[in-house]
Amino acid sequence: MTDIQQTVYVVEDDEAVRDSLELLLKSDGKPVQTFENATSFLKEYSDKMAGCIVLDIRMPGMDGMELQKKLNDKHSILPIIFVTGHGDVPMAVDAMKEGAVDFIQKPYREEALLEKIEAALAQDLEQRKTLDEKQEIIRRVKSLTPREHEIMDRMIAGQANKVIAIELEISQRTVEIHRSRVMHKMGTHSLAHLVRMVLSVKDLIDAR
Amino acid sequence: MTEVVSENSEVTVLLVDDNPQNLKVLYETLKDKGYRLLIANEGQKALDLAHRHQPEVILLDIMMPDMDGYEVCKRLKAEPSTTDCAVVFLSALDDLQAKVKGFSLGGADYISKPFQSLEVIARVKTHARVIRLERELQARNRELQGDQARILNSISEGIYGLDENGVIEFANPAAAQIMGCPVDELIGRNFFETHFATCQEGQNGLPGHTTCSQGVAENRRNIRMLRMDGSGFPAQYRSTPKLDQGELHGAVVVFDDITAELQSEAALEEARALVQEQRDQLAHASRLTTMGEMAAGFAHEVNQPLTAITNYARVSKRMMAKEEPDLGLLGETLDKIEAQSHRASEIIRRIRRFMKKPATGKEVISVPTLLEDTRQFAEVDMRNNDGGIELSVPDNLPEVTADPIQVQQVALNLIRNALEATRSADVSIPVQVSAELLGSSCVRVQVRDHGIGLSDDAEDKLFLPFYTTKDEGMGIGLATCRSLIQAQGGDIGFERPEGGGACFYFTLPVAGSSGAPCAPEQSSGIEEG
Repeated sequence: MTDIQQTVYVVEDDEAVRDSLELLLKSDGKPVQTFENATSFLKEYSDKMAGCIVLDIRMPGMDGMELQKKLNDKHSILPIIFVTGHGDVPMAVDAMKEGAVDFIQKPYREEALLEKIEAALAQDLEQRKTLDEKQEIIRRVKSLTPREHEIMDRMIAGQANKVIAIELEISQRTVEIHRSRVMHKMGTHSLAHLVRMVLSVKDLIDAR
Repeated sequence: MTEVVSENSEVTVLLVDDNPQNLKVLYETLKDKGYRLLIANEGQKALDLAHRHQPEVILLDIMMPDMDGYEVCKRLKAEPSTTDCAVVFLSALDDLQAKVKGFSLGGADYISKPFQSLEVIARVKTHARVIRLERELQARNRELQGDQARILNSISEGIYGLDENGVIEFANPAAAQIMGCPVDELIGRNFFETHFATCQEGQNGLPGHTTCSQGVAENRRNIRMLRMDGSGFPAQYRSTPKLDQGELHGAVVVFDDITAELQSEAALEEARALVQEQRDQLAHASRLTTMGEMAAGFAHEVNQPLTAITNYARVSKRMMAKEEPDLGLLGETLDKIEAQSHRASEIIRRIRRFMKKPATGKEVISVPTLLEDTRQFAEVDMRNNDGGIELSVPDNLPEVTADPIQVQQVALNLIRNALEATRSADVSIPVQVSAELLGSSCVRVQVRDHGIGLSDDAEDKLFLPFYTTKDEGMGIGLATCRSLIQAQGGDIGFERPEGGGACFYFTLPVAGSSGAPCAPEQSSGIEEG
């Protein structure tokens, strides 16, 4: 697993709020990148971005909610903290349903905001670690030959070597060799662990 | 004494002579000439007949016993009913003295004896005609005078005829009624002394005085005049000089008690004030409603600078906590705090100004400034994805005279409607707000959107109170707008623009223009279009 550089991405249309927030977060020692609207953030977005988004819910042009949907479509896992105004609670609730980490109402106390940012960054780190692990599993799965992949699927399905040998019309000895290769390539000694690993990335593999 | 009536007699001729022979000759001469002939053989009988029949012509013998012709003539002329008849003397006397005496007593002519019948016929004919015409003329005159008198009597305004010193020479019954005094008691009084309390201080400047003394016509209203009992009343009067061939003979004063008129004017003024007050109150209520609808927007708008201020304050604190604080940077940050607090107070100032209870009244205002202010105001209310508001106003637009808050209220209302229509149509074309000079005395402000537009049905009822196309609307907005704009002397209307959407406009009078330069007919365009 590589060391991740986390950044706080601030998307805020109001120049003063944007500028002051940037100064504040920088003074707290956090890398900050600011965007004056949702479109410019979307343009720069890549799945390499790590950290969290502090997103104003109310902006001219594309608003915060819309940006959230677009990011969801791109399978972004960046946690979003919505910044809302006085009358925007219903919107914030919708945003939470769409997977936002949190929301904070303007004007906010610095402590509250920083706390939420820390939590978001931690969550991002966690997700990213998990994601890294998953990607390692996928990498390993991809290193299997088609025959090995097939044998692994049957192992996970709980078929005994003998059954696999009969159904694939190969010798039981050949099945055993494939089986030990699968275990080696997937980096495990236990069938239970293999099952867990493959199931954890099932949705990612299916998605492709 | 005999009375002989000729046929078709219109003109009566009285023949007077003590000599029966002469009477016979005269009678024979004049009979069958279309006259009614009367005969008298002595002076007293002649007078009685003349008095009863008022003959046009009297042929009168001078030399008669008891009462001679001169005496008869004198008495005829002294009696009003017979003064106008033509007396033609008959006498054998053919001397100048007799003729002169006859004429001096009012005789019209002279016939010498012995009579020449043609002469008698001709002279009688001439005098008969003259008298006839004179009498017709007099009758016509009396008729005219009667008409005049009736007119003067029936007029409800008081009329005085004054001489050049202000002495009342004539008063009509209305004048008597207004002043509470019979006409004949008014006549001979001095107009100024009788009707003005301040007369002792001098007559100069009193109503009608310059007309009497200098022949200048006057016309004034709400002057205090006194009745005969000393009570006062508000009057309106006109005085015109009485001129006769360029010479001033006083004045005619026409006046009226305007107490009732002033009272109804006051009542009207009061009603007008009440309407104005209610309009202002309605406008205020409508502004409060608008502010209520925009509250979330304002909260957001005020929270932006507050958020920035909080952030900057925190940053400043951190800077100061450092061992060697960067004072330059700290100063910059404090400047930013100051700017943001100005920004917040500006928003609050704008809201407070808009919510202020009574409108400030009309003043000279710059349309571009007002519209820019309103645009910023309306942007508060914009939702995400709105296309925004585009403002285009020429630099050289003249200033207008209007109540800035009420005009802003109207503009804001139109812009918010436009934003809503745009939103409902799910388009993002900006609302276009523009202003232009219309003619030379009128500025036209237009709000155009590309929203859902209006049905034909709606167009007719747009400005009616309680008509609304919105689910949650009260139908007060546009009706209030119209009342507010009309109070500014402007007009408001709707046009169906090409390419869909809606276009509302209103006009305002350019500062310094007179009259009602923006009255509806100028900009209706229905007849022309």
